[in-house]
Amino acid sequence: MPRYELALILKAMQRPETAAALRRTVETLMERGAVVRDLENLGERLLPYKMTKHNQRHSRGTYFLVDFYAAPSILDGLLDHLHRDVDVVRPAVLKKDEQGPKSSCCANVAKLAS
Amino acid sequence: MLCLRGLRRIKAAAFLQRNSAHRSLSSAEALQDEPLLKAEGPSKEPQRGCVLCSVTVDFKNIQLLSQFISPHTGRIYGRHITGLCGQKQREVSKAIKKAHSLGFMPVTHKHPQFMKDPRICGIKHVD
Repeated sequence: MPRYELALILKAMQRPETAAALRRTVETLMERGAVVRDLENLGERLLPYKMTKHNQRHSRGTYFLVDFYAAPSILDGLLDHLHRDVDVVRPAVLKKDEQGPKSSCCANVAKLAS
Repeated sequence: MLCLRGLRRIKAAAFLQRNSAHRSLSSAEALQDEPLLKAEGPSKEPQRGCVLCSVTVDFKNIQLLSQFISPHTGRIYGRHITGLCGQKQREVSKAIKKAHSLGFMPVTHKHPQFMKDPRICGIKHVD
């Protein structure tokens, strides 16, 4: 199964509510047959610009990163579900690159120099 | 007629001889040229890579990406200013636009936290 990354921005809430929202999101993922690999908290910070979502203007948010394996067919439904969740400000699913060292022109030049 | 045939034979033989001679000469030349071709001139400098040669560009690493944008307007600098190679310039540009749309990096300005970072780009600001 291909590997995806969910860059999630949640509303700035108290700790138990944030935990509940995260739990809800991960359970949704697992219900749809995804295998959650890693969950990172990038902290609560001021958003780079004010975002309007669900008739609310957000200036602060909590950033999370969820690494998971899933079938490509579930992504549409998942994004739809996340957009409808009131606590989520901005969801984004990205594909994660599996390849390690890429052959770039600069890398080749560096090798020649060394 | 006979002399013509004879002439043709002689010509053919000469041609064959010339060919073999040519072949032997070319192989000898090739043997001589190999070390000459491999040796580079003493004035040839080793190629320098760009600043991000061995650095993976990620949209989450906004501190790195902020080094390639204008502090006043947040515009992405061109290749003639950043000095990056084609591939890395494209990667940085794509990562900055991704960070903008996903809500990781400000669009119209540089994050004040990163204003004091070292300047990689060859542009002088009127401070």
